[in-house]
Amino acid sequence: MTHEELEESVPLYAAGALDRTERQALEAHLLSGCASCHSALKDYQSVAALLPLGLSPTRPPRSLKATIMAGRNPGAIPAEAAPKEPARPSLEPGEWMNHLFPPVAPARSLSLPWVVGLATLLIVGVVGYLAWNFAAQRSVDTSIIQQLEASLQEKSVKLASLHREVGDQTKALAELRNEMQQRMNEAAETKEQLMQREAELEEARVQLSQRGGARSVGTPQDELATLLRIPDVKAVSLTGSDMAKRAAGFLLYDSRTQKVWLYSVNLPECPTGTTYQLWAIHDKPVSIGTFHMDTGETAHLLVKKAPSFTAAKTFAVSLEPSGGRQQPTGPMYLLSRS
Amino acid sequence: MDKPSRHATSMIDPSLLARVVKGDQQAFSQLYDHSNTLLFTLAVRILGNHEEAAELLQDVYLEVWRKVSRYDVGRGTPVAWLLTLTRSRALDRLRARAARGYRATNSLEAGTAGQVVDLGPSPFETQADQELRIAVGAAVAGLPQAQQQAIELAYYEGLSHAEIAARLNQPLGTVKTRIKLGMSKLRDGLQQWWNHGDLQ
Repeated sequence: MTHEELEESVPLYAAGALDRTERQALEAHLLSGCASCHSALKDYQSVAALLPLGLSPTRPPRSLKATIMAGRNPGAIPAEAAPKEPARPSLEPGEWMNHLFPPVAPARSLSLPWVVGLATLLIVGVVGYLAWNFAAQRSVDTSIIQQLEASLQEKSVKLASLHREVGDQTKALAELRNEMQQRMNEAAETKEQLMQREAELEEARVQLSQRGGARSVGTPQDELATLLRIPDVKAVSLTGSDMAKRAAGFLLYDSRTQKVWLYSVNLPECPTGTTYQLWAIHDKPVSIGTFHMDTGETAHLLVKKAPSFTAAKTFAVSLEPSGGRQQPTGPMYLLSRS
Repeated sequence: MDKPSRHATSMIDPSLLARVVKGDQQAFSQLYDHSNTLLFTLAVRILGNHEEAAELLQDVYLEVWRKVSRYDVGRGTPVAWLLTLTRSRALDRLRARAARGYRATNSLEAGTAGQVVDLGPSPFETQADQELRIAVGAAVAGLPQAQQQAIELAYYEGLSHAEIAARLNQPLGTVKTRIKLGMSKLRDGLQQWWNHGDLQ
């Protein structure tokens, strides 16, 4: 391939559109140190790495993080951590893109080409020796040649059977790996389902406790939507303190049903043994209720039955030890504008 | 006290990976928080299926935990590294699925009915990520349909130019030209994003 052809294949390489032979040809060229192709590749790899950033984002199930954190063995710090790969001429960043994580399948049969290579080398060696022997000692007893031929044949047969054996073993290994992968997938799937059920159960429990046996119908979201349409509902907005500048909250109080709704976003996760507590402040703070922000949670809806506090002017959320306190003791996270 | 950890996915700090190399679990958790939506989005785009994408992400993050020491900052950004790993593993799955004769349910509509929904413009997406998403989305959408299609078949379905030509029933040279022109336009249109250092 000419340099021009190779250079033209750089954008195709970055998009992942080259077949194996072309890829290898370009990689060999890059290894030879062509600066212009290196520079072009760097640009095109940056384009390729940007492509997924343009997709409309889809969030994974919330339970996935827990599954991943639990599935990893905390003790087993990177087994391959210590020795880095011996220095090879580095191809930045194209080479690692394709070689750091080679497709799983080809890696399994690494031993096969090696054996075939050795066999070829051996046969070439023996044949070479025979040729030399024949030329040099034409007159030598042909029985020696016959002997060598016989031994060569024997070796070829042995090699063929070795070759077959390696092939069989590779196949068996691949099958075992597939089976293991399948089992692992099944186990992971079951685990995932279990976690999902647990999450659903938890949600149902929360809803049940929030409703407290009252005759409310529909989900809290439905009820909240209805609430927003009532003109004399008290609405207070809360902003994040220095502890959580990006946090915000929105509080609604319906004196008819004596219910308080607090929708808070971007509050940090509660450290173990703590909980958030909502206060209505008139002369002194009165607790309305507590809620907890779990890992990965970004928004929370707290619904509480509360006595009348129409006189209260200020509302606040503080971080308290689990179970809450009679009076605020911890730092404030959300405060209403007074 | 943990502060809210909403940072731009496109700006993952390489030092975070350095902490993961040392076995820092909190750093690993943060790395997950920063990158999970992007990697899941890519996996769903390639596999067309939320359940399988979630399975894939488990494999990918475990591999990240085990192989993070191989990450070399000189060869690309953390995001590019994570995306390359995810894409490579997702395409492995896609090919394995094809080899088993299983027809891909590549209909994204089918997957969105579950509890996971497309967010659209999300209040939890950082402004930097949102701007970048809009810029890349616009650059891709600005390509002629044929160029866009060829690039997407290569990138998201792992097809070679010969396979794309066969799939689209077009001459090989035409397909190559489409990919080259498309990539070149994207490079010209998006160069500012890595020249600004956002992705470096």
